[in-house]
Amino acid sequence: MQRSTHSVLLLGSIMCALLLIAWVGSAFAAAAQGMYSISDYYSDLMGVIGGEWEQVGGLFTYLVGQQYFMWGFLLIISVIPLLFAGHLLIIGAKHFDHGGNQILFFPPLARIIHFIGALSFTLLVISGLLIVCGQFFGGGTFIRLARYVHIFGAILAVPAVLGMLVIWFKDMLPALCDIKWIFMLGGYLSKEIKPVPAKKYNAGQKMWYWCAVFGGLVMLATGFLIWGFGANLDIIRYSAIIHNVLGMVIVAFFLTHCYMSIFAIAGSLQSMKTGYKPEHEVHMLHSLHKYKESDVKPGDHH
Amino acid sequence: MNDMRHAKSLIFIGSNPPEAHPVSMQHILHAKEKNNAPIIVVDPRRTKLAAKADEYVRIRPGTDAAFMLGLINVIVAKGWEDKEFIRTRVSGYEEMLEVAKKYTPEEVEDITGIPAEQTYKVAEMLAKNRPTSLTWCMGGTQHTIGSSITRTFCILQLVLGNMGKSGGGTNIFRGHDNVQGATDMCILSHSLPAYYGLSDGAWKHWCRVWDVDYDWMVGRFKSKEWMNKKGFTLSRWFDGVLEGEDKIHNGGTSVKALIQWGCGSNSNSRFHDVKKAYNKLDLLVVVDPFPTSAAALCETDNVYILPAASQYETQGSVSSSSRQIQWRYKVVEPVYDSKDDYDIMKEFVTRLGFADQYYKNIKQVPEDITRELGSGSLTIGYNGQTPERIKKHMENWHTFDIDTLQAKGGACDGEYYGMPWPCWTEEHPGTPILYDISKPVNEGGLPFRNRFGDVATYAMSGRVENQLAAKGTCNPRSVVQGGYSEFKEVVPGTNWKTDLSQKTIKEALSKGMAPFGNARARCIVWTFPDQIPIHREPLHSPRPDIVERYPTYKDKADHYRVDTRYESEQAKNNDIVKNFPYTLTTGRQVEHMGAGAETRSNKYLCELQPEMYAEINPKLANDLGIRDGGMVTVESPEGGKIKCKALVTERVDETTIFLPYHFAGSWEGESYADQYPEGNEPWAVGDSGNVITNYGYDIITQIQATKDGLCKISKA
Amino acid sequence: MGRVKFLCDVERCIDCGGCVVACKEGHHIPVGVNRRRVVTLDSGKETEKSISVACMHCADAPCIAVCPVNCIYERADGVVLVDKKACIGCGYCFMACPFGAPQFPKGAVFGARGAMDKCTFCAGGPEENFSKEEKSLYGQNRIAEGKVPLCSGMCATKALLAGDADVVADVYRERVFQRGSGANAWGWNRAYKKKS
Repeated sequence: MQRSTHSVLLLGSIMCALLLIAWVGSAFAAAAQGMYSISDYYSDLMGVIGGEWEQVGGLFTYLVGQQYFMWGFLLIISVIPLLFAGHLLIIGAKHFDHGGNQILFFPPLARIIHFIGALSFTLLVISGLLIVCGQFFGGGTFIRLARYVHIFGAILAVPAVLGMLVIWFKDMLPALCDIKWIFMLGGYLSKEIKPVPAKKYNAGQKMWYWCAVFGGLVMLATGFLIWGFGANLDIIRYSAIIHNVLGMVIVAFFLTHCYMSIFAIAGSLQSMKTGYKPEHEVHMLHSLHKYKESDVKPGDHH
Repeated sequence: MNDMRHAKSLIFIGSNPPEAHPVSMQHILHAKEKNNAPIIVVDPRRTKLAAKADEYVRIRPGTDAAFMLGLINVIVAKGWEDKEFIRTRVSGYEEMLEVAKKYTPEEVEDITGIPAEQTYKVAEMLAKNRPTSLTWCMGGTQHTIGSSITRTFCILQLVLGNMGKSGGGTNIFRGHDNVQGATDMCILSHSLPAYYGLSDGAWKHWCRVWDVDYDWMVGRFKSKEWMNKKGFTLSRWFDGVLEGEDKIHNGGTSVKALIQWGCGSNSNSRFHDVKKAYNKLDLLVVVDPFPTSAAALCETDNVYILPAASQYETQGSVSSSSRQIQWRYKVVEPVYDSKDDYDIMKEFVTRLGFADQYYKNIKQVPEDITRELGSGSLTIGYNGQTPERIKKHMENWHTFDIDTLQAKGGACDGEYYGMPWPCWTEEHPGTPILYDISKPVNEGGLPFRNRFGDVATYAMSGRVENQLAAKGTCNPRSVVQGGYSEFKEVVPGTNWKTDLSQKTIKEALSKGMAPFGNARARCIVWTFPDQIPIHREPLHSPRPDIVERYPTYKDKADHYRVDTRYESEQAKNNDIVKNFPYTLTTGRQVEHMGAGAETRSNKYLCELQPEMYAEINPKLANDLGIRDGGMVTVESPEGGKIKCKALVTERVDETTIFLPYHFAGSWEGESYADQYPEGNEPWAVGDSGNVITNYGYDIITQIQATKDGLCKISKA
Repeated sequence: MGRVKFLCDVERCIDCGGCVVACKEGHHIPVGVNRRRVVTLDSGKETEKSISVACMHCADAPCIAVCPVNCIYERADGVVLVDKKACIGCGYCFMACPFGAPQFPKGAVFGARGAMDKCTFCAGGPEENFSKEEKSLYGQNRIAEGKVPLCSGMCATKALLAGDADVVADVYRERVFQRGSGANAWGWNRAYKKKS
């Protein structure tokens, strides 16, 4: 019971973790004022050697030991694609007229940053999943390689995440129309093509953005601590828990993003290569986007 | 040492076995656990032993004698002394007591800083938990009054009646492997092997043993008088280089060449002066498995390094703290270019041209060496331990009892492990406890030695006292029931020490008597400057106000060939405490050994103890703005200066700085590791603590006073 | 024979570090990796106490539970071992361990940790007994030789006991009885507590 209460708190934020540590610390200080018995000594020693094992180590061991994280990841990577497969079968992809004017959405810098980001996230997600599910491969060289790839991906992710933070920050600020978009789920649950309330980026993209950028930063920070054991043991334990939980969220968004760009909006992938989106698509999916005339490139059949 | 298991209380003064002698701790803790024996630790530092102690007594360095005399005073005042023991086996007691009476617990508190109540408490603990095992180490000896301090330890044990008893006695833990053997062989400048001294008789005795013509031996010296003159000591050799030939008493020359054989240089006090001497020498030879700091510190090209084999690459007999002799077998052949000590010595004597005289009795190395030294070392009964017997003991390890050290059955039935000396004959089982009259001499018992005449008249009281043991006090089966003199003239012209036929010794044993007589233990040594030990302030005293009451000795000329300052040094530095306000004491770490040439070449030990540091009390550190792990400069009144890290700890009190002495390889913070032969740099380098240790030498032994100097410390 | 256990008697441990150095020398462990450590609390104070800690070879060991590649296993005699060839160096075992036992040498690639190294109870590893491979990966296999672990074998004060749990418990019980103390054996509650 207590453990599940803890987990709920933890999923929220690091703040809670810090509070907990502060509480443990004060409890210690209070205990230190009394008589110093042999059992006090043992409990002090436990703290010195293994951190506050009862508080955090136990929780970590419980969550990982029961394989909650692994099954969580497996659930996400199996259920989400299934949902999307259903969506593709029942509702199908959205097709837009690609012949009209082309509107510049992604200048070269954005495309480069996105490419690095895409590469790093792909590497991170695949290698991360391999590590989590390492037992099916028996560990060894293959999974060790996955770890190296994971670290390499993380190094790549640093410029990507920071770059995305800078170039898209303004466009990704929430707007009123995002609420409407969320209520209609961007119109993806219907085959009908009609204008959807969104500026340059819709609420779904914004959610992914904030998740990828700030989540990414948290993943990088926690990952860094796990990589180098660069903090006290309890912080590392919290880091690992956060890394796993947030990882699930990111993987879910990552899959969604892939589905959207590859399947749900036909030709969408192309826009990240060329930088241009067809005018039709922009008018429908980003109906509130006010682009400059200079961003318009005349289409072929005009 | 195993006998400490039988102690009912244990007191350690200037000894820290968890760091310096960890293996002994199993016996010490055994006594604590099994006998509920209280452990009392008297030390300026709250050591790791203090963590296991029942009573920790923080003492000002160098005041041990005052505390001991204070304990004696309280014990006698309360009537806790062993009256029967004193009546039958102690001499000079009344005179000693007169002196001790001046050391009231209040006076002791003033001198030592130990609260008077604690003196009472410790006295009671000792009196009510007999026998007490008393242990001291370098903390007790390395003072200008070191020889007096150690005598007060012994006198305390006499007063308590703890001498010659299982679980009692004074246990002096030796600091190095086989250092007891080295002492027995008198690798010192004032005596021939086995404590025979330097008299003509001693030379003649050993020349007979070595089968060397006495006149040939005389011819080796500049003139005959130099045969009887003490040489330099390790603690002052460099003054023989530096002071100039007219200031020393060395036949008109300074010391020009030095061989350091298995000797770490940075264990010398005033090490910055030692460094100067290295550079002034014409020749320096270092014989060691690892290049010592001497080899690296010496900037001139006068150094030869001879690689010696380690203990695993050679074999021979070694003696332990407990006077036990063991055989050490070779594990591997010497590696690389190293040679074992026997081979190096052979190279020397061959080239120096007296190999024919040297190897007369020695055909088989090292067995014949053990045999030869044994046959001559009759004073300490080394003659019973033949190589064959020693090896037999090694092979039958398992038959010896851990508690009594006596073999039960088997090939060594009834013998004590290692045949602790004296082992009078090849049938004698060895003497596990010295001066124990509860056992027959033939079975390892022993009375006190009759060495200083049968009767003495004391200068301070005019009293005449018989020095032999009282009537009826003797070992069981002794033909003479009471005290008796040493055995002589059994073979005409010889005594038990010089009769190489050993008939004298056998005659004594056949009568159930000790060859060296049965006498009393002396509280008065009429040849010493302090016939009865008293407290004297260190030369650099942090208490100028009591120097007048407890002044040091008169200056001593020609003390092991150099003049030694006492009175003049103390007078000159009467107010030195103003500029050098902190007491400096040095000691060991468990990870490192001696000067550290060997241990600082082991990466695992260096990982555990990688750096030099100065221990400083948190309050003092805060007052001086020094942080834990921050760099500090420590300076000595002689101008020595080191830079090292600060270790802020409550081990030391607010007036004391502690330095481990194992480090070398850097000088005032600058590493000189590149001066070691390539590939031989130590893993851990640091400034040498002994750069800071002060001038000061014991009046008898000239041991350096490293434990009670003064220093100043500041943030670097 | 039951399971094996370690027990460090706090009243006897003198912080000499002999166990640490014996372990390192005996198994040729790189500097920076500590299969065993001596931890001292309140150094220099009246309450100073030291204890030697290594892998406790727990019953129901947390490290086994959290390992993502299942490379840690418990032998029938209770010795917990790691298969270094399968280990990926993720560090989860370190996070799960209450004793800080798992150690990681620095790896070559991106500074990633190498395979986990920890006390083997001097029982080698999954490779064939006395094989070259076993020796280079795990050090000596003294258990197969019928010897006690190096650390406890050389402990000067016999503070560190290792071996069959029943025997270790008997030795300790006798000591406690001798000194009339009721102190618990350190770490046993954590390491060997039966799940209720």
